[in-house]
Amino acid sequence: MDFNVIGKSVIRVDGLAKVTGKAIYPQDIYMDNMLFGKTLRSSVPHAYFTLDTSKAEKIEGVVKIFTAKDVPGHNSHGVLFKDHEVLCEKKVRRIGDPIAFVVAVSEKIAAEAIEAIEVKYEEIPAVFDPVEAMKDEIKVHDGKSNIIYHYKLRKGNIEEGFAQSDVIVENVYNTSMVEHAFLQPEAGVSYVEDDGTIVVCAATQYPHFDQLEIAEAMGVPAEKVKVINPAVGGAFGGREDITLQIHLAMAAVYTGRPVKAVYSREESFYAHSKRHPEIIKIKTGANKEGKLLALEAEIIADTGAYASWAINVTRKSGIHVTGPYVIPNVKVDAYAVYTNNPFCGAMRGFGATQVPIATEQQMDILAEKLNISPVEIRLKNAFTKGSQTANGQTLTDSVPLVDCITKAAKAIGMF
Amino acid sequence: MKTISLKVNGKPYTVEVEEDMRLLDLLRDKLGFTGVKEGCAEGECGACSVIMDGNLVTSCLVMAFQADGKEIITIEGLQSEDGTLHPIQQAFLDEGAVQCGFCTPAMVLAAKALLDKNPNPTDEQIKEGISGNLCRCTGYAKIVSAVKKAAEYLNQGGK
Repeated sequence: MDFNVIGKSVIRVDGLAKVTGKAIYPQDIYMDNMLFGKTLRSSVPHAYFTLDTSKAEKIEGVVKIFTAKDVPGHNSHGVLFKDHEVLCEKKVRRIGDPIAFVVAVSEKIAAEAIEAIEVKYEEIPAVFDPVEAMKDEIKVHDGKSNIIYHYKLRKGNIEEGFAQSDVIVENVYNTSMVEHAFLQPEAGVSYVEDDGTIVVCAATQYPHFDQLEIAEAMGVPAEKVKVINPAVGGAFGGREDITLQIHLAMAAVYTGRPVKAVYSREESFYAHSKRHPEIIKIKTGANKEGKLLALEAEIIADTGAYASWAINVTRKSGIHVTGPYVIPNVKVDAYAVYTNNPFCGAMRGFGATQVPIATEQQMDILAEKLNISPVEIRLKNAFTKGSQTANGQTLTDSVPLVDCITKAAKAIGMF
Repeated sequence: MKTISLKVNGKPYTVEVEEDMRLLDLLRDKLGFTGVKEGCAEGECGACSVIMDGNLVTSCLVMAFQADGKEIITIEGLQSEDGTLHPIQQAFLDEGAVQCGFCTPAMVLAAKALLDKNPNPTDEQIKEGISGNLCRCTGYAKIVSAVKKAAEYLNQGGK
């Protein structure tokens, strides 16, 4: 069979626009009569607050200062749980929560107005340690447990598995929060078409989700919202949640003029999710031949103030914590927990990136204790075609792990 | 306000600039060269790099008034009027050195600033030449091979 693309080196469709500088990213859109928006964000992690916008409103060139009461529809958004507020109403749950959106005739005036808004915080105790947060003594979201998800995996009998093990390794591993730092900071433009359709141009990973979230917050049917996704300057999971889309839509509808916002790098850090830091408590047992017999793990994923994709990410960690190895007895408990930290969501690997730090170090330590090579212990336990994962999936197709390890080991002279 | 004169991509401009305006804002907001990108505003990422009098500069750290009397080259100045790509642009396309594209215009200019001075750089020299430009898609290997290919194209008198 002759393919047009497969097996050929094809010039990417957007390549020409990108090497000539003609590709349009949202910050490259300039419209006539355009206004500029800037977001006021919380400077404390957990507090009730009140706003006084009177001084800021008097600054010449300020068109409107939006606060929670100006959100026409539901003041909420979120990919799984609607736990974000478009603009916080009375409580902030992390540093960087959006509390007001200023629209002015220039970016400079908008920035000046942000400074002139008076915010009074009544700080309340905050929780930054997810283990502490699991006690639910300080609740991040009123009336809701901080533990938002518990993934349970049970296979075989781990007591028996550890009893039969000749060597057991038990450790706690901590992974860090990671920022995507995609090169193009968030930016967007919104305007209203003649028939009332709200148009939002913003770099996003989910134009179809954004459309629904904008429609719900604006209180309009989805068909009255059009999301245009121009060139996207990197994302890596960091553009899966709403940032400025709804703020811009509100501003465009209220003012009847195009409204643009461009985040600084610093604001970009505040605005989007991070990779979940995880505390991984793990116990791995093997017999003297190096065959894995049991694995027990407890994973606590800190999702910060909002859930974003915490459930999916934590579940993926819970599944991948076995590594690509056949283990007859497995017990995993993975928790996603609210804290007052920056919120966490999707980032390259989506929960599968954190756990190998624990799993693979356990393998190395086991190999050392058994006096076999780290390559050998992996080859002895690696998934092959027909293996069953701990969560019950039979791998029926391509499972080239043994080949891959063998070739890599040869290439680096370990085999 | 201050009036300055400068050349951008060979064309002379006389413009009024505010004292606190950066070269980056002048090029993007006033003159419409949006191929110049803002990534960090503190000279770390290199996305706003342009060539000023032969040297690569981060235009977020150059004030507009400092460009008075200077010659600037942006990405918009590389393609010929008949649409022919500059050999460096062609090499970036051919080598698949473009992903999200936000670093690309400045990366191409960094390559130009290097190759204008050193037509036969080693891999190490290429890496040093683009060391002020971040690519968060982590496409560095392909970018390095694109710069090598660009050197070949240029030494053969353009592709």
